[in-house]
Amino acid sequence: MRLNRKTDQAVTSDKAVLGLNRRQFLKSASLATGGIAAASMLGAGMMRKAEAKDIPHDAPTETKRTICSHCSVGCGVYAGVQNGVWTTQEPAFDHPFNAGGHCAKGAALREHGHGEKRLKYPMKLEGGKWKRLSWDQAIEEVGQQALDIRKESGPDSVFFMGSAKFSNEQAYMYRKFAAMWGTNNVDHSARICHSTTVAGVANTWGYGAQTNSFNDIRNAKAMMFIGSNPCEAHPVAMQHILIGKERGAKIIVVDPRFTRTAAKSDEFVHIRPGTDIPFIYGLLWHIFENGWEDQTFIDQRVYGMERIREEVKKYHPAEVANIVGATEEQMRRVAKLLAETKPGTIVWCMGGTQHHVGNANTRAYCILQLALGNMGVSGGGTNIFRGHDNVQGATDFGLLFDTLPGYYGLKTGSWKHWCNVWDLDYEWVKGRFDQEPRLGQDPMTSTGIPCSRWHDGVLEDKSKIAQKDNIHMAFFWGQSVNTETRGREVREALNKMKTVVVVDPFPTMAGVMHERTDGVYLLPACTQFETYGSVSASNRSLQWRTKVIEPLFESKPDHVIMYKLAKKWGIDKEFFKHIKVNGEEPLIEDITREFNRGMWTIGYTGQSPERLKMHQENWGTFDIQSLEAPGGPAKGETYGLPWPCWGTPEFKHPGTQILYRTGREVMNGGGNFRARYGVEHDGVNILAEGSYSKGSEIKDGYPEFTDKMLKQLGWWDDLTAEEKVAAEGKNWKTDISGGIQRVAIKHGCIPYGNAKARCIVWNFPDDIPLHREPLYTPRRDLVAKYPTYEDRMVARLPTLYKTIQEKDFAKDFPLIITTGRLVEYEGGGEETRSNPWLAELQQEMFIEINPADAADRGIRDGDNVFVHSPEGAKITVKAMVIPRVIPGECFMPYHFAGVFEGKSLAKNYPEGTVPYVIGEAANTVMTYGYDVVTQMQETKASLCQVSKA
Amino acid sequence: MFMKSLRSLFALLVIPLVLSMGLGLSASAMAADGQTNQQQVATNDVDLWRAVKAGDSGYTTAKGVETGVLINVVGNEGKDVRNEYLVPVMGITVVGVFAAFLFFYLVNGPSKLSKGFSGKMVLRWSKADLWIHWVLATSCLALIFTGLNIMLGKYILQPYIGEGLWAGLIYGSKTIHDWIGPVFIVSWILCVVKWMPLQTFKMYDLKWFLVVGGYVNFGPFKGKHPDSGFANAGEKMWFWTLTIFGLFIAASGLMLVLPGLDLPREASMAALLIHGISAIIIIAFTIVHVWMATVLSEGGMECMVSGYCDENWAVQHHNLWYDELKDSNGIVYKD
Amino acid sequence: MANMKFLCDTKRCIECNGCVTACKNANASAIGWGIQRRRVVTLNDGEPGEASISVACMHCTDAPCMAVCPADCFYRTDEGIVLHNKETCIGCGYCLYACPFGAPQFPKKNAFGSRGKMDKCTFCAGGPAPDFSEEERKLYGANRIAEGKLPLCAELCATKSLLAGDALVISNIFRERSAARGAPEALWGYKPTTG
Repeated sequence: MRLNRKTDQAVTSDKAVLGLNRRQFLKSASLATGGIAAASMLGAGMMRKAEAKDIPHDAPTETKRTICSHCSVGCGVYAGVQNGVWTTQEPAFDHPFNAGGHCAKGAALREHGHGEKRLKYPMKLEGGKWKRLSWDQAIEEVGQQALDIRKESGPDSVFFMGSAKFSNEQAYMYRKFAAMWGTNNVDHSARICHSTTVAGVANTWGYGAQTNSFNDIRNAKAMMFIGSNPCEAHPVAMQHILIGKERGAKIIVVDPRFTRTAAKSDEFVHIRPGTDIPFIYGLLWHIFENGWEDQTFIDQRVYGMERIREEVKKYHPAEVANIVGATEEQMRRVAKLLAETKPGTIVWCMGGTQHHVGNANTRAYCILQLALGNMGVSGGGTNIFRGHDNVQGATDFGLLFDTLPGYYGLKTGSWKHWCNVWDLDYEWVKGRFDQEPRLGQDPMTSTGIPCSRWHDGVLEDKSKIAQKDNIHMAFFWGQSVNTETRGREVREALNKMKTVVVVDPFPTMAGVMHERTDGVYLLPACTQFETYGSVSASNRSLQWRTKVIEPLFESKPDHVIMYKLAKKWGIDKEFFKHIKVNGEEPLIEDITREFNRGMWTIGYTGQSPERLKMHQENWGTFDIQSLEAPGGPAKGETYGLPWPCWGTPEFKHPGTQILYRTGREVMNGGGNFRARYGVEHDGVNILAEGSYSKGSEIKDGYPEFTDKMLKQLGWWDDLTAEEKVAAEGKNWKTDISGGIQRVAIKHGCIPYGNAKARCIVWNFPDDIPLHREPLYTPRRDLVAKYPTYEDRMVARLPTLYKTIQEKDFAKDFPLIITTGRLVEYEGGGEETRSNPWLAELQQEMFIEINPADAADRGIRDGDNVFVHSPEGAKITVKAMVIPRVIPGECFMPYHFAGVFEGKSLAKNYPEGTVPYVIGEAANTVMTYGYDVVTQMQETKASLCQVSKA
Repeated sequence: MFMKSLRSLFALLVIPLVLSMGLGLSASAMAADGQTNQQQVATNDVDLWRAVKAGDSGYTTAKGVETGVLINVVGNEGKDVRNEYLVPVMGITVVGVFAAFLFFYLVNGPSKLSKGFSGKMVLRWSKADLWIHWVLATSCLALIFTGLNIMLGKYILQPYIGEGLWAGLIYGSKTIHDWIGPVFIVSWILCVVKWMPLQTFKMYDLKWFLVVGGYVNFGPFKGKHPDSGFANAGEKMWFWTLTIFGLFIAASGLMLVLPGLDLPREASMAALLIHGISAIIIIAFTIVHVWMATVLSEGGMECMVSGYCDENWAVQHHNLWYDELKDSNGIVYKD
Repeated sequence: MANMKFLCDTKRCIECNGCVTACKNANASAIGWGIQRRRVVTLNDGEPGEASISVACMHCTDAPCMAVCPADCFYRTDEGIVLHNKETCIGCGYCLYACPFGAPQFPKKNAFGSRGKMDKCTFCAGGPAPDFSEEERKLYGANRIAEGKLPLCAELCATKSLLAGDALVISNIFRERSAARGAPEALWGYKPTTG
């Protein structure tokens, strides 16, 4: 029996429904929609929308195409809506990423239409009680307090915590919002996710993103997962990975734990947390020793491999076995497998990035791929899996403390470019900032305070931080503070601030973990299913989401809330200068078009709303193997126009599925490593030699394109008259006509130039990756040989390294603790723990501990245990005694919150919003430690002690 | 013995279904691969599959009893025992014992008092005894009828009555069975405690058996009146059967009717089987007991109606008791 | 006529529990907190040899639940799906004792007496109430089969590990996969029957 989907629509009927015919029904439905606004001042009970069970089966179903809002794989979803209620969720078999598949979270997506535990209306903590506010009053009070703080302490005393749950448009607007306010104190969870990847990888070869795609992993012959557990974190990626395996690929999993992914591997390598660099160098030792490297690739496209070769000599097998714990035999076997089985890809996630040497870890992985010559080919690359659904987009739009949208940085030229795009007077924008240099740093052009350390921005002595005053007010806009380490300080900082504002569908930990009685505001934002816009998956594809349902309760879309605040602050005219505002809702498509005009660096320019919607309507025309459309309206294009999608939308660039692929023309998604760091270093040429993308008219390396270069090449006259005007004095990044890019590509050249990838990143504290023992290391014997950094100033904050590593905690805290994900939950977990279908599956916070360690402590599976932190905190969790972790190492999931050091916070939540499951937050006991470049927090290698409760 | 053959039968029927879960695949798939893979050296899929079949438990996020067990065949084997043995045996018992007694009665006729009724009534049971008896009797009969419906109704009633009626009937049976159970247990305890002193076996009870209690009206046993005390050997046997199997049936019944115990499947199924076996035995004895009291033994029923028995009946059926009472001047006559 | 079965490919199952929440999603109208019609079990958890498998009602051809049920509330559809009538169910729990897979679930944890109406996987085929009726939705959940769709758990499976459909069709899919994995001898270990 063939059972095919017969129609996108469930059985529809024109026959009378509840005594109404269809026409009358539609009429009454629209009336009902209007009634929601009117009903908004009624009680929450009154506002509950119709539940699915109240909808007759044959009510007409509208099928909406949307994208799962959990992880960055970007799974397509068919949402069935009847009478305005989300009643069904059908598999999107034709979606080119997931082919209908979903993990626990994706399969429970429809629960977003219930939202039982959501924050229902704006609230304020007054005298220890939650009080309901109207939106206007809430905006008035929050806005005024921000203005007062601005007056007294300057714009930098307001912190804008953003979210990877924003759509691209919202993420872009939020970054712009902070710019309009006049601060760089804006950041989001990418800081504690892949910031080290973005910095490390972009500085190696140009862009800090996944170089290939999930689908392309099908073509790999070897895959190495290091610090990545897609079975729990990116389950649908496993569809492609396992198909690759079934086609003969070998899977190597490198992890401290025998993860679910390790269970599917051909080779599992245990490494001690925090020893990624010695592990990679250990592999390279065998590769260089045996001449397994791809010398042609290195000669043509890699700079500085000789330095690495020298360094690697120090990591001989015995040394690696001593530091990492992997045997010589296994290291050799893995190296040989990688060298002989090509193309091979490397996948890494938080296990690699969340270290105080995270940026160097990511560079080390890249160097391994460069040595193997695995870059720029199908089946190869560094497949860096991002976390949240739109963390790639939010990063690209510069929702970060150190850059403007498109990685333009914070230099004056960058500001001028964006002022040009915004059509605003640079001086006006500059005037919004604190004008005085602070500790020698200019607030407008210097890095702000990171997401990982906003609490230090509150608590640190204000004379030691490079801004006028401490942070006195923070917007926690879609971010869970339980994802930040050092829980006690987080609480103290929440207590100390003048005002705490949570903008989120849920109250979140920031709303409940403090000990305040006043000055906390909760503003209900809606989810991505209650608005629309584009979202960037990890593979750089953009996907359009359609609005599924109207915002639940009194919640509002993020961009509407931004508009309301901007209006209160009197910056709405500038903020929305070229964006149409309908009532209070800025038009999403106008926002997309605005960033299309400015995001030249990474090719976010070709993805117009029209093209993205066309892709959305034609999921089924894209081939799941190649991601390309063999026919149909998107013929020849790659699904989602993965950036860089060069030029204007009219230029019709098909998107770039595989970065740096010299085997293809630039106009067909080809390219090469980016010339980002000049043309020479130490007198040595760093442009590519004899390697160039297919069809390039310059048959060698070349620098990035500028107006002058076009003139030198004699290509200037290929520009139209208007383009010439716009391009004069500009380069490929700042020419907002797109002319320079168009002409370069016309001649087969990539606008950003053609250089070598660099193993030496001379602008970083460690110019090549060096092993440094974790700050909290159990291996005191290695500290002298592999010490951490001296304490130093990073961005605006003093940052400790040596001070911490000097102390020996290993005696009292002998267990290594690392943290990670569970498939059922995501991020801080507030959303997923409030979803009963998911919460039911993981009801208790736990710690994984090896049977040997448990036996030593008299702990049995299921016992309550204390986890003690060397910094003093102590949490109570359940013990899961399991051989997944080796003796001496423990693991905790980080999604739990709602209990703080043994005390339930349930009573602090507004009524009816306590998640179904609460538990101790792992980060309460996670310790100090920040990446020296990006301020990534160290959550993957610390120490603890476990004792029976 | 039969468990073993059942197991192989079960294997034939159910294992293919289990196999369709895909675990059975791939015995040597990986071993042949020659890869240096420690994982597959350590455990191959055959071992895994063997463990699953053996009922090994794994990890699961599902809450509940034994959720980590993928396959547990014990319950199903129990089901086979129940359906293939207990159900037919119970049917046969009810019909067979009843029919056998009917036949016996038709051939033998009632056991008459050889001297006829004296008209003098001797106190045999106190009021409390009567209460205990009738509460126990009523609850037992209610349990038997509802229990029979639960066990056999599906085969003998359900096909012939409407769906709604059947649903009501079976639901009623289950509910009544659940709630009468405790009444039975309480009256059973009282009965056992109160009557046990009268029920100890004596040497003369052996003789009683040798002449089948003197109820047979033909052949070599005709006219025999064996010695017996307050209770004759047959009654003692009934008492002890009820005591022992009453204990079994009560305990297993409680296991079945208290879901909060969260018993593993093995225990629940064992309880179900013990409950059934005990029921069969108690039902058989009950039928005999009712036959004896109502029609077979002339004057017997009167004891449990008024508590008094005819003096001649006492002499004929419980001579030692009567003699003892008489010797001690303990006879109480009805006014 | 089709003979519906589930098949879980352990080489693909990653214990993501997508099938479990998919089931909740499809059948939310009938099942609340505490009832999981489907579960994923991982053997050798955290050790080499770890394998996960998704299990629910297997819609057995000789269903033990059906055989043991004193109320005779079970029936088999033309597609070989084992369903039950909650109106007739008496909550005795015998099916729970007899089922080798632990499929039957009971909503109430009464201290005494009936366990409430049994609930189990319906292969997303509803129940004896009229197709798409209010009653069917509240008692049994979705009826995707009547809509021409397969159970949502299998349709939403992240890695296409859980297959649902006619035994012949899914066994062929599985056979092809096994053959492609280079182990043709490692088919089911027996010839899959459709009976």
